Amino acid sequence: MAKKNYNTIEDFLSDESFNNWAKANRLTDVDFWDEWIAYNPNKKDLVYEAKDIILGVQFKLNEPSKEKINSEWALLENKIKANNLEAQKKQSPSYFKLIGIAASILLLISVGLYTFNGNPEKITYKTAYGEVLNLKLMDGSLVTLNANSSIYYYKNDNRKVWLTGEAFFQVDKKTTTNAKFWVVTDDLNVEVYGTSFNVDTKHQKTAVFLEEGSIWLELKNGTTQKMTPGNFISYSSVNSLITEQKEKVDSRFKTSWKDGSIIFEKLPLVEAIQKIQDTYGLTAIFKDETCKTKLITGGIPITNLSICIKAIEKSANVKITKLKNQLIIQKK
Amino acid sequence: MKNLSDEYVWKALKEGDLNAFSILYKTYYPMLYNYGLKISRKVPLTEDTLQDFFLYVYEHRENLSDLDTIAPYLFSSYRRHLIKTLKKKSKIVSFDEMDVKVIDIQFTPEEILTHQESETFKNKNITVLLNKLPKRQKEAIYLKYYSGLNTNDIASIMEVNYQSAANTIHKAIKNLREEVSILQLINS
Repeated sequence: MAKKNYNTIEDFLSDESFNNWAKANRLTDVDFWDEWIAYNPNKKDLVYEAKDIILGVQFKLNEPSKEKINSEWALLENKIKANNLEAQKKQSPSYFKLIGIAASILLLISVGLYTFNGNPEKITYKTAYGEVLNLKLMDGSLVTLNANSSIYYYKNDNRKVWLTGEAFFQVDKKTTTNAKFWVVTDDLNVEVYGTSFNVDTKHQKTAVFLEEGSIWLELKNGTTQKMTPGNFISYSSVNSLITEQKEKVDSRFKTSWKDGSIIFEKLPLVEAIQKIQDTYGLTAIFKDETCKTKLITGGIPITNLSICIKAIEKSANVKITKLKNQLIIQKK
Repeated sequence: MKNLSDEYVWKALKEGDLNAFSILYKTYYPMLYNYGLKISRKVPLTEDTLQDFFLYVYEHRENLSDLDTIAPYLFSSYRRHLIKTLKKKSKIVSFDEMDVKVIDIQFTPEEILTHQESETFKNKNITVLLNKLPKRQKEAIYLKYYSGLNTNDIASIMEVNYQSAANTIHKAIKNLREEVSILQLINS
């Protein structure tokens, strides 16, 4: 162990046994240096300064999550591969002919993208009550639009859609560009890479359920939230609050509507009826308050209102009468 | 993580190995992300510039010189890239005045662990004291204790020689120790 002179701070820092003492690592070193300091009080300042340099300030690392890094990498990888493909195309002889044709098509398209007032053309899809619409967007993504809902997007930016109502998205992973897909609602933005998920904006909140893949939510209060498959989050910008959040939800409960039925599990009748109201634009009147809390379990078809009513009557053991736009619910 | 595998990863990358590049990306993304965030203080801008930067590195891989440690190269080129973008983006004075060689890192209380191995840094005003340090000293502290880089790497990132980087770190710690002892005198 050290017999040399310790005059500068470097002398201490470069000494392994001193490092051990500073980190309280090896007893023999600790003993040695405790004693050394006692015999060399004039070096005390230097010693403790060196100790602080070795130990340093401990920081809490603010690191992006593994999932975030992976999805950012996926974007970059796609971009690299797309660029490689481009480079290969350039080498083929027919490429210039193709590019000529492509350019003229592109010109036609871009003329079509703008209407006469110079604004980009807006495409809107809307469903009536009791109607479900399957759509394929320009970029190949599939959207199932629930009843009384609408989405729109601009032709020149077709991977950003605005939603009111409810829709289920199956977003195509864009391998040629790294364009993200966005769903915008009054409460939040969903940032997507290629995945399937459900967005429901009814009743002054936006509820998002992720079936597969990974998405990021940008809530209107400025915070971001990552979702993993099975997650369910409901957020309202009215009071800037997350109103409901679940780690693992069976996807059938959140997305079965797109296949023509709603699946309930021990759901109070009043909430089940709310779904029917949303789908068909009806109002409900409960003649007996006790009916509201009856629990209902099972799949209810929603494509046909009269079958739907019969199914609920049977499942909840109530009597439902339809009068114009009203559903009257009472005990049997 | 360092040196041997760095050298291998770098070589493979130069040959266009996308897997090697993926390892490089995932290893250095968190460190560079933090560094970028400290400089720009904006998440989207940090993310975008990082993507552009890594794409640039990949596309220019054939021109890269041989390196045995990658960190200094990545840190200093990313910093140059980020500051260039910041300058281009905003004509606002603060960034116009920004010198590529001097960036002003700010620490927040949340970043300082409550458990500190050294008695000196257990002081509750440590964030204030850190932020009061000269800019170069703050950056050296950040690179050494936040990013966990060695003095050699810090020297190349800050574009100074080894001795000068070491001195900057020592001076920063010395300053902090003095400030802390003054505070303790006042409070006692």
